[in-house]
Amino acid sequence: MEKIIVFVELKGDQPRKASLELLSEARNVAASGRYEVGAVVLGPMSEGLREKLLSYAGKLVNITDPVLDAYTAEGYSQALSAFAIEEGARIVVAGATRIGRDFMPRVAVLLACGIASDVTAVRWMDEPLTVVRPIYGGKVLAEVSFSSSPAVVTVRPNTFALGEPGESAGEFFERQMGISPDRVRTKVIRIEEKTKGKIDLTEADVIVSGGHGMRAAENFKLLEDLAEAIGGVVGATRSVVDAKWRDHEDQVGKSGKTVSPKLYIAAGISGAIHHIMGMGTSKVVLAVNKDPNAPIFKHADYGIVGDLFQVVPALTEALKKRLGK
Amino acid sequence: MNVVVLAKQVPDPEAFVQITGEGRGLEIEQKFATNLFDEVALEEALRMKEKHGGKVRVVSLGTAKAIEVLRTAIAMGADEALLLDDEAFLEGDGNSTALALSRAASKDPFDIILCGRQAIDDDRGEVGPMVAQFLGLPHVGGIVKLDCDGGKALAECEIEGGHEVVECALPAVFTTERALNEPRTAPIAGVMKAMRTTIPKVTPADLGLTSGEVGLSGAKVRVERYLAPRKRQEVRLIPGEPADAALEAARILVDAERVI
Repeated sequence: MEKIIVFVELKGDQPRKASLELLSEARNVAASGRYEVGAVVLGPMSEGLREKLLSYAGKLVNITDPVLDAYTAEGYSQALSAFAIEEGARIVVAGATRIGRDFMPRVAVLLACGIASDVTAVRWMDEPLTVVRPIYGGKVLAEVSFSSSPAVVTVRPNTFALGEPGESAGEFFERQMGISPDRVRTKVIRIEEKTKGKIDLTEADVIVSGGHGMRAAENFKLLEDLAEAIGGVVGATRSVVDAKWRDHEDQVGKSGKTVSPKLYIAAGISGAIHHIMGMGTSKVVLAVNKDPNAPIFKHADYGIVGDLFQVVPALTEALKKRLGK
Repeated sequence: MNVVVLAKQVPDPEAFVQITGEGRGLEIEQKFATNLFDEVALEEALRMKEKHGGKVRVVSLGTAKAIEVLRTAIAMGADEALLLDDEAFLEGDGNSTALALSRAASKDPFDIILCGRQAIDDDRGEVGPMVAQFLGLPHVGGIVKLDCDGGKALAECEIEGGHEVVECALPAVFTTERALNEPRTAPIAGVMKAMRTTIPKVTPADLGLTSGEVGLSGAKVRVERYLAPRKRQEVRLIPGEPADAALEAARILVDAERVI
């Protein structure tokens, strides 16, 4: 059987949603009988996490070289590539998160193989393996095939559906790959956290974004309230970030983040191409804008033409009521 | 402090892109710009030179038109430029492009390689980390601040809900985030100088590579065809006073679309 290796990224002692989505998809694919799936965790993990992951994957490997205690691109790429070689992996896959996109290109070089980044579809049964990825900010999709093996792939979060955990029946192994500490030349020396435990925009199911029409930083409270009512995260356009109403990490668009939530609510956003590039693959888009000719309505499924300062609070109330809050 | 900047010419973000020949090709409006993130990388390189001395060398891979990117770089203050100009270099993947760029960047000694976190045309974001790996160097991706001192650098990156500061031994590769700086406009004197500058060009052989190792021939993934993205249905406007429209929107999102 051919092997799919899924890199499981942790956030604290929990797997990232993007990783669980990949494990869910890989489990479905393995049911075809062509592939078997191995999940890999780099660095320390708890027993609880082990049980959780074994309910998704038939095999779980924890690579525990001390150099993997914290993320570094060099350490992670050496560990994952060495393991992929040992296993004779056919496909090595990770979420296209900040970390996945940072170290997986190095894995491809170490394996002397091809990489496709930030893909939104994988044709697992195609020979050669074929994936689909948005290019030109989503104006076009490219169908990309691999002319080398293994195939290294990063998948955009929210691409695959999250499956329920199954029986915890897989096998667990602990390994060291013998990575020397002097082959890792970067070190995180300080972390400055402003907002702890916030869901990353790229993994959020629901995003409530505000544009220039929000008029001032304090008005984002309206969007915070709506987001809180529906379990969403607040995003922003470039003009909002340039005006310093929100931090750069909240920016959706060409020079910010690319997001793909189930629901994207755009409030007071005109819909400049730069912004559309960052949210065009959202499943359902609701736009609120007082200008009926705003381009955002061309990229939305539903629209409310009206004053966001009336519509957004009304929407928050209506949703709270409907959700029984 | 000698800095190499990798810069790419890309279609303007507003450029019209159309699929041709049943998905076999793309027709792109002939409107070009320097990749936004690479401009930020160049600005950072120029600031480092102003602070620590040394030279800024800019390298680009592309058709002859890509020379505009290099002229802009010289106009902004770069000292040298190099164009990887050969048919064989074109249509590569991350792998074959990074291999060629890593050879070109390391032709002369350097302390730092800077490039944008991704190009806004193919959106791969692979070249920076791959160049680092080809050269056996560390890298830090998506930086928003950079300070160098002797043989090491302190780079700051955005992480979820905050920032982290990473110490990195030099030489190293850094990929730049938009928030790192505000690129300068080229002064007139610089533009005049750039127009007079002869920009050297190199072929694969000049980099010790065969044409089979670069561009499309050296690629390990290839585009089979282009597809149109899913088109949204025409927007459904929800009418009524704000309170009524909000109630109807809530009903649609929760019961019909089931996205909340």
